[in-house]
Amino acid sequence: MIQIDSTEIKKQKKLALTWAITFLILFPVLITLGLLMRLRQGEITETGPSEFFSYMTLHGLGMAGILFTFAFAALWYLNSTRYVRLNLKFGWFLYFLILIGVVGLLYGTLIGKFGPGWYMLYPLPFKGTFWPAWATKVSVISLIILGVAWLLGILHMIYALAKQYGGLTNLLGWQYLGKKENITEIPSVVLITTISLIPGVFALIIGAAMLIMYLLQSFEPSLAFDPLMMKNMVMFFGHTLVNITMYCAVGWVYALLPEFTHREWKVNKAVVYSWNASFFFILFAYLHHLYMDFVQPTSLQYLGQVVSYSSAIPATGITMFGVIAQVYHAKMKWSIIPLMFLFGMAGWAIGGFAAVVDSTIALNSSLHNTLWVPAHFHTYMLMGVVLFIFGFLFYLFSGKDKEEKDGLGKAGFWIFVLGSYGFLLMFYLGGLNSVPRRYSNYSGLEIDHVRETGAHLAQCAALFVGVLLVGLILMYLSLFCKLIQQKVSTKESNS
Amino acid sequence: MSNFTMLLSLQKIAGLLSLAGALLIVAVVIFLLKSATISEDKTTAKEKVYKLRSRYIWSIIIVAVVLLAYSFRSLPYSLMKAKADTEVSVVAYQWGWKMEKGIYNGKLDDFKGSNEIELPVNKSIKFIVTSIDVNHNFAIYNSDGVLVAQTQAMPQHKNNLQYRFKEKGEYKIFCLEYCGTAHDFMVGTIHIN
Repeated sequence: MIQIDSTEIKKQKKLALTWAITFLILFPVLITLGLLMRLRQGEITETGPSEFFSYMTLHGLGMAGILFTFAFAALWYLNSTRYVRLNLKFGWFLYFLILIGVVGLLYGTLIGKFGPGWYMLYPLPFKGTFWPAWATKVSVISLIILGVAWLLGILHMIYALAKQYGGLTNLLGWQYLGKKENITEIPSVVLITTISLIPGVFALIIGAAMLIMYLLQSFEPSLAFDPLMMKNMVMFFGHTLVNITMYCAVGWVYALLPEFTHREWKVNKAVVYSWNASFFFILFAYLHHLYMDFVQPTSLQYLGQVVSYSSAIPATGITMFGVIAQVYHAKMKWSIIPLMFLFGMAGWAIGGFAAVVDSTIALNSSLHNTLWVPAHFHTYMLMGVVLFIFGFLFYLFSGKDKEEKDGLGKAGFWIFVLGSYGFLLMFYLGGLNSVPRRYSNYSGLEIDHVRETGAHLAQCAALFVGVLLVGLILMYLSLFCKLIQQKVSTKESNS
Repeated sequence: MSNFTMLLSLQKIAGLLSLAGALLIVAVVIFLLKSATISEDKTTAKEKVYKLRSRYIWSIIIVAVVLLAYSFRSLPYSLMKAKADTEVSVVAYQWGWKMEKGIYNGKLDDFKGSNEIELPVNKSIKFIVTSIDVNHNFAIYNSDGVLVAQTQAMPQHKNNLQYRFKEKGEYKIFCLEYCGTAHDFMVGTIHIN
């Protein structure tokens, strides 16, 4: 294992803090867009459809983008301060490249009203649009910039780790599966970084190819592609990126939770089998997005359900039981960081369970594109990934004592969890009442029950968003206090 | 699924399953919050958890296999090519529906259909669904507002959806795939007599 000197650690921490502050600025802005959407659906405001759908597009792309970017940045920080030398200048270059992509996307959606949804389902951006053609070009180019930045960052990290640990197969943990005794051991976060990010390479290459096809058509409108192939491409790209965001976040739970439970969480055969199986499942799970496309080859539909069901086995059987083995009778303090990790796991499990239900073809025909879909993915993003991220942020912003009492942060956490589950429940109830997703308002639904239920649930959801924002403000205040304390103690130790 | 659906709608089955799963997870979290404050040697504590884990993994594999086998019994794909009592061609467009009895193989620009159609009760109906412009989703809601069947309306492709209307009345068609500004106002009507 290499020694990373303290100056390098400080510099990498500065980069991580910059990522963190950028995330903390963008996150509430994107929540506000979601709130505006629910207010419109609840008939409290009168946002026009073009504003609504451009907000929807920015909310989806923005949230998926910042969550993945921060998950990547967190893994960069952990790996670069513990296990491998990563090029700091390159890290800053990626930061600014991503910032350019974000600014371009903000311009395309908020000024240009680019609004085909995050998935811009082909050929929607080219037919019957309410936004100008330049907005499509700006947004697509911005997405390409983001994709290139992510791809370069992933390749740099994987290359550096492979060099450090003797090749890619070692990073995948295959040396644990043989009978050799003297093997190159790898930390769990290194294994998970690899397993999570390699599918990201495939997703980003397919995504880039797709975006270039969009760009070509935006300059040459006579071009046309097969919509089924394009849907496969966009779902593979989008689903995989969101999926690996969760796995990246789980990576730092493996690395940091043992610091609170005082129990090692090492790589072993079971962990290697489990994560290698997840690697396979990540690549094919996207197929469940096309169940209602009956022209898709039927074998792929079956594969979609089999893979979706199977992915629950390593996730729960190894990772979640791993958490149980960490905390069960560990005589530990439930300070805010492990608490967020535990609740993050619960959010992942609850959202994952609802996702498995939705991935059952026979049930999907009644749930597909209803509010059930945002219900389950918001559960594992908001109550899974976001809690993992805040757990990491509290870790990053805390001084040496990571278990200090934090009444403000904990109060914020409980209010945030309460508000979030209230908000999510409205989505689930909407799905169960067949309320469609991606409707700017429900007034066109010519069935009283669905129309009224949809609007009423949206009003309640907006109320719960207010509650979760109160919790978020308290958590922000706590983080701000920690950051100030950290600055003060650094100054004191320097002087 | 057919036996259960006689008693419960598919939405209710999904809701009950998910509620049961969520309650179980909440129970585990509460148990862990309490049990983590107790001290036990880490080796014995881990052994207990791993013993439970191996039982869990075998159980979940068996449950997954059974559920897969059971749920694969009734899928919409087997009816794609099956014969039906009545065929209906459906063309979606920004932002409306055109429906007409019979199989239409002509140019979509020339397709003359209406956003309302009358169909017989208790007969198998095959909807041959496509789109003239962007992706839409042909979703059938009964008069109680329950989504009873759906398929995508994809340009350049045809999806065949078979459904048997068991009750007379008015069914509504809504679009469940975001397709632009007036996506939420794409409504059609099926009268079942």
